[in-house]
Amino acid sequence: MDRRDFVRLLAAVPFVPTLKGASAAPAGLPKLKVVTRYAPSATPGIPGPFPGRVIAVRSDKSVDVETSAANDEVVREMMARGMCALTGEKTPLEAWRQFVQPSDVVGIKVNCGGHPWCVSAYEIVAEIVRQLGAAGVPPTQVFVYERFQNQLDEVNYAPHLPEGVTIVAAETANRRADNRGYDPATYVEADLFGEEDTRSNMMRLVSQKLTKIINVPNMKDHGATGATGCLKNIAYGSFSNVARTHYRGKSHTYSFVGTLASVEPLRSRTVLQIMDGLRGVWHGGPFARTRKYVFYPKQILFGTDPVAIDRLLLDIIDDERKRHGAISIYDRSPQYLKMDDGAARDADPNVNIIIREPGHVEFAAGLGLGVADKARIKVQDVVV
Amino acid sequence: MTALLWLAALPCLYWTQGVETAPALKKAAIERLCVAPDQAAAWSKAGFTPVSVSDTDLALRETVAAPGIRARADRASATRSPWVFTNGSRFLRDPAGKYVYDLPAGKAALAAAEAYAYGADAVLKIEAADLESLGPMLAFLAALPKSDLPDVSDVAVVDDGSATMGEALTLLVRRNLLFRTVPAPSAQYRVNVKLGTPEFPADAAADPSAFALKVRRQLTDEQRSLRIFGTEVVIGRLLGDGSRMRLHLLNYGGRETEGVRVRLRGSHPEGEANVAGQGKVPLEDLGLVDGATEFTVRRLGPYGVVDLPAVK
Repeated sequence: MDRRDFVRLLAAVPFVPTLKGASAAPAGLPKLKVVTRYAPSATPGIPGPFPGRVIAVRSDKSVDVETSAANDEVVREMMARGMCALTGEKTPLEAWRQFVQPSDVVGIKVNCGGHPWCVSAYEIVAEIVRQLGAAGVPPTQVFVYERFQNQLDEVNYAPHLPEGVTIVAAETANRRADNRGYDPATYVEADLFGEEDTRSNMMRLVSQKLTKIINVPNMKDHGATGATGCLKNIAYGSFSNVARTHYRGKSHTYSFVGTLASVEPLRSRTVLQIMDGLRGVWHGGPFARTRKYVFYPKQILFGTDPVAIDRLLLDIIDDERKRHGAISIYDRSPQYLKMDDGAARDADPNVNIIIREPGHVEFAAGLGLGVADKARIKVQDVVV
Repeated sequence: MTALLWLAALPCLYWTQGVETAPALKKAAIERLCVAPDQAAAWSKAGFTPVSVSDTDLALRETVAAPGIRARADRASATRSPWVFTNGSRFLRDPAGKYVYDLPAGKAALAAAEAYAYGADAVLKIEAADLESLGPMLAFLAALPKSDLPDVSDVAVVDDGSATMGEALTLLVRRNLLFRTVPAPSAQYRVNVKLGTPEFPADAAADPSAFALKVRRQLTDEQRSLRIFGTEVVIGRLLGDGSRMRLHLLNYGGRETEGVRVRLRGSHPEGEANVAGQGKVPLEDLGLVDGATEFTVRRLGPYGVVDLPAVK
């Protein structure tokens, strides 16, 4: 399939409103032009060997809700049980060897946007690095990455990781003055709101250095997408100039998130999804500057299919919002919309600043990135 | 162009302090300055090249804005483009005009580069603290290879001389939509703009941003001679004769931008950049894509110029 075919395919993907509570499809999907010189691998990492399969490992002992501290020992056990359940292997080592080889250069895509209350947990990231080492991938071949260095600095993974691991970002901060970390030849081009810079470029680290990527998102609400999970973390966390997709109440995330996640080589190299649900954010996401909207799902989800995991995430966030009497993430009513009023949104969970697009998960399924139909998603529960 | 004429084409520092400040100017490597007529002899004796500018001369000059950016208070989210203050459209609208900048601290170098890039006859009133940045910029501009290439324009605009049209032209500059003002529409341009026509009704320029977007959509991004990616605060002025090209890049952001990606229509397999503060630097990731040339300028302070020679 060449680039032109891909553009045509995007234009042809229909919206099928089968999600619960889904309302009208966003009118006039933008034309998205994908430019990449990379071909997909024989078996792209997304949706990988386990489409539609999710392992949900829960433990009441995983987080102390008073202090918000995670229990390292319990998290390690959850990780081991989850990886073994996903792969059917008897030991974590055998499980990890299904995804990485000693020659791999492995990226761990963390999420730091929810600092200080909800970021990719130190315990999970450290355990991934430990297991990579056991599988023969030395720390010098491991890169923990984000888009913005100032966010990584705030979270500060270094004390939790062995020497040799590189902690790296594409930009110093979110101020659009630093583009050298992005690949000028790999991008998605779209004119969404008449913005002058119409390109979102893939990180050079992803296109030119890494051979495998492990995605470690959180369970968070998101004002533009409904929820931010696997798809958005890997997509918006690996490309430049993405905040332009939502503006003045309107969100183009519906088609943009999945399209970014589908761009090679990101799609082929992202081989494992480990969703950190020890803590979560049910409103005001992706940020968590206060504990006001933080909750504790106390679980970790494992899979290779980001769509299936994100489909479950939509329910988790929406259910938590219901528990608090807040409007659904599917709500598109103008009465709850206060454009650009972040203060009102932070104060009141019944305020949207943008019409959310949870349908981005189903759109991604239409691109072949996984299974969004809940009837076809097989969840295996594991309790630690 | 003679060396003297070339020197005269550079923006001129307007200096009201006495000749006892000569050491500070010499330290900043400033050799030419605009002074009051009764001061000219003293400055000449001190080894400078003075240009006499009387109060009357100064008053006749059009005052232009300090170049730079301001965050848009009416837009709160992260995608918002800052508001760029550029004088490019004023210079293009009246290339024979005479201008004066009255600058706050920190703006002198960018203002000098802006005036130079548009070939404007401008004098600069600056804060003394800016000598340190202005001197090297003027020296850099003076050392650049000469060029007499004409403007590249995609859009012809019949300028009615109104303030509304002036705002609209400013938006075209800010959006890197290359235009030329013309007395009448011409088939040699991809898009013609004349207010009061069915395509551009009389009030079409009332919203300058919408006007610029309409022009852009008519032209299409694919047909634009110049695109700049990775930033929304860098403005280009493109000159060329169909084979050789010169691109002035003005960074209004107030800080260095890394990785400015440029797309020019046409095939230009080689070229180099001259960047203020860095000198000659190679173009990075240069490639020919779909009938266009793309390259990256690695680091851009207030100003740089890219020269693309004719294809051999």
